[in-house]
Amino acid sequence: MRLRRIAAATTAVALGAALAACAPPEDENENEGNSDSGAERITVGWNQPFFSYNDDTSNGNATANAILVYLTRSTMNFYDAEQELQTDESFGTYEKISDDPLTVKYTVADDARWSDGTPVDAADLLLAWAAGSGKVNTIEADQVETDDNNVPVLGEGQVYFDSSSAGLPLTETPEISDDNKSMTLTYSEPFADWELQIDGGGVAAHATVMNALDITDPMEAKQTLIDAVMANDATKLGPISSFWNSGFDFKSLPEDESLYLSSGAYVLTEMEDGQYATLEENPEYTGDRPASIPTVTVQWNEDPNAQAQQLANGEIDLVGPQATTDIVEALQNIDGTEVETGVEASYEHVDLVVDNGGPFDPATYGGDAETARTVRQAFLTAYPRQDIIDRLIAPLEEGAETRDSFIVTPGSPTYDEIVGANGSDEYAESDPAAAAALLESVGVSAPTVRIMFAADNVRRENQFEIIKPALEEAGFVVEDARNVDWGSKLGDGTYDAAFFAWQSTSTGVTESQATYYTGGLNNLTGYTDPAMDALWDELSVTTDEDRQVELQTQIDQMLYDNAYGLPLFQFPSVAAWNSERLEGVEPAPLSPTIFHGYWNWSLVD
Amino acid sequence: MLMFLARRLMTSVLVVLVSTVVMYVLVDIAIDPLEDLRTDTRPGAEDRIAARTAMLDLDSPVLLRYLDWLSGASRCLIGSCDLGRDWRTGTPTTELLSGAVTTTLQLVTVATLLAIVLGVFVGIVSALRQYSGFDYGLTFVSFVLYSLPTFWVAVLLKQFLAIKFNDFLADPQIAWWFHALVVLGTATVVMAAVGGSAARRLRVFGVAALVSLAVMLYVDLTDFLVTPGLGIVLVGVLGVGMAFGITALSTGLSDRRSLYASLTVAALGVALYYPVLYLWYYVDASWPIVLGLGLLAVLVGLGVGLAWGGPDRWTVARTAALTALPVAGLLFVDRLMSSWDNYVDHGLIRGRPISTASRRTPGFDSGFWLNTLDLFGHLLLPTLTLVLISFASYSRYSRASTLEVLGQDYIRTARAKGLTERTVIMRHAFRNALIPLASIVPVDIITLVGGAVITERIFNWRGMGWLFANYLDQNVIDPIMGYLLVIAILAVVANFVADLFYAVLDPRIRVAA
Repeated sequence: MRLRRIAAATTAVALGAALAACAPPEDENENEGNSDSGAERITVGWNQPFFSYNDDTSNGNATANAILVYLTRSTMNFYDAEQELQTDESFGTYEKISDDPLTVKYTVADDARWSDGTPVDAADLLLAWAAGSGKVNTIEADQVETDDNNVPVLGEGQVYFDSSSAGLPLTETPEISDDNKSMTLTYSEPFADWELQIDGGGVAAHATVMNALDITDPMEAKQTLIDAVMANDATKLGPISSFWNSGFDFKSLPEDESLYLSSGAYVLTEMEDGQYATLEENPEYTGDRPASIPTVTVQWNEDPNAQAQQLANGEIDLVGPQATTDIVEALQNIDGTEVETGVEASYEHVDLVVDNGGPFDPATYGGDAETARTVRQAFLTAYPRQDIIDRLIAPLEEGAETRDSFIVTPGSPTYDEIVGANGSDEYAESDPAAAAALLESVGVSAPTVRIMFAADNVRRENQFEIIKPALEEAGFVVEDARNVDWGSKLGDGTYDAAFFAWQSTSTGVTESQATYYTGGLNNLTGYTDPAMDALWDELSVTTDEDRQVELQTQIDQMLYDNAYGLPLFQFPSVAAWNSERLEGVEPAPLSPTIFHGYWNWSLVD
Repeated sequence: MLMFLARRLMTSVLVVLVSTVVMYVLVDIAIDPLEDLRTDTRPGAEDRIAARTAMLDLDSPVLLRYLDWLSGASRCLIGSCDLGRDWRTGTPTTELLSGAVTTTLQLVTVATLLAIVLGVFVGIVSALRQYSGFDYGLTFVSFVLYSLPTFWVAVLLKQFLAIKFNDFLADPQIAWWFHALVVLGTATVVMAAVGGSAARRLRVFGVAALVSLAVMLYVDLTDFLVTPGLGIVLVGVLGVGMAFGITALSTGLSDRRSLYASLTVAALGVALYYPVLYLWYYVDASWPIVLGLGLLAVLVGLGVGLAWGGPDRWTVARTAALTALPVAGLLFVDRLMSSWDNYVDHGLIRGRPISTASRRTPGFDSGFWLNTLDLFGHLLLPTLTLVLISFASYSRYSRASTLEVLGQDYIRTARAKGLTERTVIMRHAFRNALIPLASIVPVDIITLVGGAVITERIFNWRGMGWLFANYLDQNVIDPIMGYLLVIAILAVVANFVADLFYAVLDPRIRVAA
């Protein structure tokens, strides 16, 4: 019995061994991956995931979307690393054909095509105009019903493009040339930032119309759009605007390719919700800014430390995390990595409140504006800007400097000229003794200043530790008004001075008007100066660049003269990339930061 | 019992309801949905603030908004959930939750199983060697691990097990002192765990040292780290070893039928080595097939055991089935290992197989085996982090409960009537020592599902913890509430299940009606 069992087991083993005589073949399929484009591909780390292919809507307007749009849609102009506006004539040209009235003619290049082969033409520009100008909207922003998704719900015959623009509302319905390649835009009054209004980088008009109205022929769709805009046909524009508002929102790649048409160097080929997106070279692209690396993957990860380790482990090749001392140090310690520090668009500044009955308010001195100004001057004279730079910013950024202009960003073409004349040199050095003398000269002793700043922010807490002794030395009584809810307390009058950051998204000259204009939305200090308001009014309608610089210099000068506050420093930025694989990276301060100049990227052999 | 259920259900609903009210109010105080607009310099920010205030209904009192949320959430009862959405991107909360739950389960399942098995094993051994050097050593180690902060462990693991290890793989030269350290270390731990007289300790030490030396030499000489693989010989050796080990724990080596049945299973494993390789050549593998084959292996094990028969055939069958599973696992691992060099040489991996973040390599899709390796390469570090930290608590629990059980009268009775030590420990003590764990584990799993916030964030796994932290950061309330609702319900259910378990497993406890 037992013997038989053992025999049976032995037989089974023997049978198996016999089968084993011929060794199994190697699985060849698995080697395919090795010739895969892995070597021709780079992975870029980014913090926030993409969510909309239309970054012109108020909802989709985010850097996370803009970076992928930058890779996939051509524009007629773009910022270079020096923040100068460059043109891309291989995609299209624009010229100012008249100053009075301001008239701009846009012409799309003949060989500019969408990735489905349809030409890019004036219909695409017209859609951007219709959306940005609001001229075809039949209802106002505050009449729009939105559903739970924050997407406008339009009733029958209602048109609403969920977008805004400073300049386009000043324009008339554009003229389209007969060949559908040019669009001419006429402004009802001059507008300073006319170059930034339309760049041809919007979503594809034919894709929008085809999806909105169930049209199958792209050229017919384009014509339908042009006719509808010209005739202001709300029955057609309603569905078009509705689709434009939300039809291009996606977080993983939709099945319908028309939703992610590309007119640029890359085209989206893969997207995993919240994890990564893959872009491949667009075979239809013939312009001047081609893909130099065939495949680019953008991998999302919020944790900058984790990104630094991913870079060290070769999982990502390029990353631009928020700069902190720890991150910069961690990146610098990675072998084979090039680290570049620079500035980003946000800047820190200190505001003095002049309408809250505090030490900087003329009302405190019986309406004596001059005394209040001198007290402000004393405060700013004592403010140790250079110390802050040396101790907090210089470790992060080589050659860090103070920002010496309220309204232009360091590194922008007109910065040096404006700084040279705006009177900022008066505050170049902190001088508590001089500040004390100023206070004495107006007979104000030991004014109490409540300083508000973000309570949970290490850098701001450190700033406070630096400024407090200097201000006390000058004779101010410093009251610590740090607050976690500083953002919602801005402008409520419960503090006398506050330091925080403004972010800027373009170098448009009218960008900071709302901060300094009387009653402006971002005017949180109660500052008012009719003479300066007049200068702003003039600036916003000035298209001559020399005159713009003159006006900007005057405004800056007034702000310094009146001791409005002080700009402190530009936020430091850092970019790091695997220099053993990738070269030619040139990060820019404004969006799209590290992706800027992707056509100069190249792989190291 | 019915009364008990009804009462529990009612209090549970109340607990969930109250916790959502409290959380809604707290989260509402904590977040500021207008934060990003306050420092916005673009023209028209006032309109945007007004539009968002209207959209989120920020002007109405928080309790009204809560009721609004509750009316949507209560529709889950009739099958049409409306848990709101992430208004920044328009994604419904339910969609966010389902993705996050899957990710979290993938992350914590293996880690939880490993932590429980390892923790219980170490705890029992440590209890059996109470007050020995081994016991003290483990107590020390487990307290150290227990007190380690996750983010710190995670960063260290990334630095040493991913970055440095990948660097090392490029040129795998192991220093001689490392060999010596591993051999001596392993031998010392094994010696301490086995215990006994001085002569026995010396013998155990010698054997353990020799075995680990052999393993190290094998790894070194065959370039195992670069081209791993078991081969038919190692599958045989390991299979036979498992057969002996499992039989020893299950029925004792003196039960010859069990031993032979297990050995037959191991032999079958060797016999099937090549046929299985052929199978994988012709069949595209997938998880259902692999798991199905695992089940088949267990059934074959049962069959083999029954064929060996005898008066206690089901005991034999159980032992054989228990052996079949790891032997089948060996075949799986061997097949996986043979794809290793293809994986490492892949253009997207470039010789760095261990990843520091995310669930998988972007754009990587090269068939089942390479994808599985990719998954393991990404799972390794987060799993280790979770295991290191939660294993410590399990080992403490199981040590304490084993000690308590071992002090009971019935154990003395069992010993007195002459049962072998194996029977006393495995049959009488082990099972009862697990009862307290039955009430801890469900609650613990829920804590892991909801609480792997730091691990998920550091390793960039977009699971439940990540969802919570991320939306808190982005000032979006609906996904946070969705998360809290799920966790609150699960927590209530887990406590309920734990109580029921306890009552079922321990007849001394009655659920009070």
